Amino acid sequence: MKHKKLQQTPLPRICLISSGEADTGNGILLLDQLNLLPADIPCIVQIREKHLNTKDLLTLALKARKISLPEGSLLLCNERADVALAAGLDGIHLPETAVPPDKLRAFAPLLIFGCSIHSPEAFLVAEQSGADYLLFGPVFDTPSKRQYGAPQGLKKLGELCRASSLPIYALGGVTPENAARCMDEGAYGTAGLSVFRDTSRMAETLEQFYTILNP
Amino acid sequence: MIPSSPFLCVITDEAYCPVTLAEEALKGGAAMIQLRHKTASGKELFTWAVAIRKLCREYQALFIINDRVDIALASEADGVHLGQDDLPAAAARKLLGKTRIIGVSASSLEEAVQAEKDGADYIGFGHIYPTVSKLKEHAPLGPENLQKTVESISLPVVAIGGITIENAPFLISRGAAGVAVISAVSRAEEPSKTASELLSALKKSLP
Repeated sequence: MKHKKLQQTPLPRICLISSGEADTGNGILLLDQLNLLPADIPCIVQIREKHLNTKDLLTLALKARKISLPEGSLLLCNERADVALAAGLDGIHLPETAVPPDKLRAFAPLLIFGCSIHSPEAFLVAEQSGADYLLFGPVFDTPSKRQYGAPQGLKKLGELCRASSLPIYALGGVTPENAARCMDEGAYGTAGLSVFRDTSRMAETLEQFYTILNP
Repeated sequence: MIPSSPFLCVITDEAYCPVTLAEEALKGGAAMIQLRHKTASGKELFTWAVAIRKLCREYQALFIINDRVDIALASEADGVHLGQDDLPAAAARKLLGKTRIIGVSASSLEEAVQAEKDGADYIGFGHIYPTVSKLKEHAPLGPENLQKTVESISLPVVAIGGITIENAPFLISRGAAGVAVISAVSRAEEPSKTASELLSALKKSLP
């Protein structure tokens, strides 16, 4: 069943993932990005700062929560439902190695759960355990994911989108130039890290994505 | 609630299977098992937690998880143990409710006092003696600081760090409610036997 929150407001089409460079929880880049989000472009923002200890992650999440985001936006953190609840975030994003959503819903019924999937097996687990959306990638070649091998490609993205009723975001090397090809394969939206890192161009990039992703 | 004093808490060692180790410790009479693994994935932690929780129920011991309040809630553990870099105890309390146990690591009287204010149920105080289990930033606190902390707060204080069969009774006599060990049990030839010997030593120290 669809998450209560999502029955009222649809999921944003753009997912911005933080860069993993917040050093001591001050997360300057992430906070800058949040402050620079254009008011008319709702986004999922995922705080993904795996190197931070729990205390610093909570501090960063609380700071991020204080920033007012475009209407319809959702603020998530990576994996930690406890941090999301303590900071009043909207949800969490679960890597394949995390506890699946159905084990977390009991104590976090109001959180939105996104799941990363890189394989058909993970896809089944995420679907059956009640994910609210899926993140699939890397679709295109991207420097940050090269160590994990070749990109998964548009064809696999399309197969997945046709097999699932859940919203699927395409991740990995997605730019305003190739985003339409992901949508043609049935993607619900796109996600990125590097593409949003240049804060001087971020707003413009988001506008470009928004035009392509919201038909 | 916290086990009756004096009790033995065994913390899992990243070098060994946490479930096997927990079972050995329980056989030896440990009243509290703490699952601590800083590098494992959430899924691994959860799988271990479910197995250890079941064992702890069988042995009527408490099961707590280091740092991960989310995993503790998902696995229905009895509580968590929080370091100074983890969620603050007050935030954890809101998530865990009144009945679950929150332990907090303190390496000074000030940290112990703060943890008591924040709603901790017990303090893990250390390291008391030099230890090989973890890299330490400060010098060992010694039994005098342990005693001072025990006398200054009303929470049970569990001594940790460099605990052995030889020094454990002395720490109980200084007021520790129990001792927590990693390597003393995990690196023993027969962990369950060593745990049982540790527990006997603790009990002998009572007046």
